[in-house]
Amino acid sequence: MFFEDVELGDDIGPLEKVASDQDVIDFCSLWGPPTPNRFTDPDEAAKSKLSGPIVPGIMTMALMAQLFTEWADQDSLKDLNLVFRQSVPHNKPLIIAATVTDTRQEGVENLIDCDVVMTGQESERYVIGTATVSLPSRENK
Amino acid sequence: MAMELDYDRSLYGVEHKAGPFDVTKDMVTAFSKSIGQEGDIYNDESAALRAGYKGIVAPPTMCTLLVRHVKLPDINLKFGKARFHAGQRVQSRSNITAGDSLTASSHLKEVYSKTGRSGTMVFIVWETTFANQTGEVVADVEESFAVRE
Repeated sequence: MFFEDVELGDDIGPLEKVASDQDVIDFCSLWGPPTPNRFTDPDEAAKSKLSGPIVPGIMTMALMAQLFTEWADQDSLKDLNLVFRQSVPHNKPLIIAATVTDTRQEGVENLIDCDVVMTGQESERYVIGTATVSLPSRENK
Repeated sequence: MAMELDYDRSLYGVEHKAGPFDVTKDMVTAFSKSIGQEGDIYNDESAALRAGYKGIVAPPTMCTLLVRHVKLPDINLKFGKARFHAGQRVQSRSNITAGDSLTASSHLKEVYSKTGRSGTMVFIVWETTFANQTGEVVADVEESFAVRE
């Protein structure tokens, strides 16, 4: 993907992800929140008035970042800024998509600004935010 | 008009440090597996080396795993009770690869209130800078916590 290939209003994605119960358990074992917790334990989730265990915010962010690592590459994502609007459930399709809101050059970098969103099957908006991606130019190829 | 907030303002300008955190191959591959991160550079060391990286590559937000290892003080906010994770920002400065050793430095960035249809909420924002073993800054992470009335 090159900077010149991208235009204002372009769509990126969608990327569909699912965070299974086991994925969240594995993630939490790396992260280390105190257990039991609302991310892996139904009773703890119920105490927090949740309908079931939820995906941690930092795991949600890691899922959303993949929209950009798959679209461009590892080095492309410069800034991901998210607002968690609703709890993100386990075992449900999570649709991640972005729209290009600006293209600009800053010094030697070719930057793409995007609005990014994670929605559910019923288009419920779990997470919204913005991202900045750096892309190579064809001129420097 | 902005609400007058009562909390420990002496925390501004104080850095809370943690680490070093060794980034291991096992940590990176386990993180990649748990989030379904595709791509050889995140899962295969030889592929990462062939691609010119120093080692297997951490997905761009992996340092968020380490943020909670920084022991942050209570700001003694005299407002509300229910607290939740409202937002997160990661600004990547450089790649993190297995074999790196990261240190973290966190400070209180801002505390502010917002009033909407559901009432007033106060937001507490902490900013953490991660640097590697050479002192190069690899990422800045902001975490925002909201407190409801």
